[in-house]
Amino acid sequence: MIAEIVGATFIILGVFFSLVGVIGIMRLPDVYSRIHASGKVATLGIFGLLIGVALLLPGTLVKAVGLLLFLLISSPVASHAIAAAAYRSNVPLADVQRDDLAGVSRPQRKRPRDAE
Amino acid sequence: MSELVDAIVQIALVIMVGLLLPCAYRVFIGPSAADRLQAIETITTLLIGVIVLLAIIQGSAFVVDVALALAAFSFVATLAIARYLSEGRMF
Repeated sequence: MIAEIVGATFIILGVFFSLVGVIGIMRLPDVYSRIHASGKVATLGIFGLLIGVALLLPGTLVKAVGLLLFLLISSPVASHAIAAAAYRSNVPLADVQRDDLAGVSRPQRKRPRDAE
Repeated sequence: MSELVDAIVQIALVIMVGLLLPCAYRVFIGPSAADRLQAIETITTLLIGVIVLLAIIQGSAFVVDVALALAAFSFVATLAIARYLSEGRMF
């Protein structure tokens, strides 16, 4: 009984954070801030749903914790790769105050195979 | 499982499927390729949540394995496409 109440609460929290993240994806001005919003979906939203399924469905605790740990590692790596790809393909920033990466970020690499 | 928890899970499933539509719209209008890649990554993340909720509704623990496989494949695909965007080729 207690497990059902707590699990349903975690599912409501997960759906709420997913909703907030998708609203951010629709309304924020540029790619970099939208990546920030999609991180909310990937961590808080899915974590709520996974804790909910571990409490509501017997026998899924190990799978849910494994998926949670995998997302905890893979989601920031994917977000970082998308942000680096956006910066290196010259996607403009909205409302630039200062750009610390100007002239510092590694330009597109020239490899030996490219020179041939 | 009590009636209230069942209703909460089904309403949550409807909301999560409905959230796929704004992300698909962002894939359609996104100004740059990075926007589209990021929206597709959000779609796969939402699909993991949908599969987890379907596992609760069906009462089957094996459905969670599908979500694990989807997470692994979407991670590899996102890294490969991001590398293609920044370097000009995948390998």
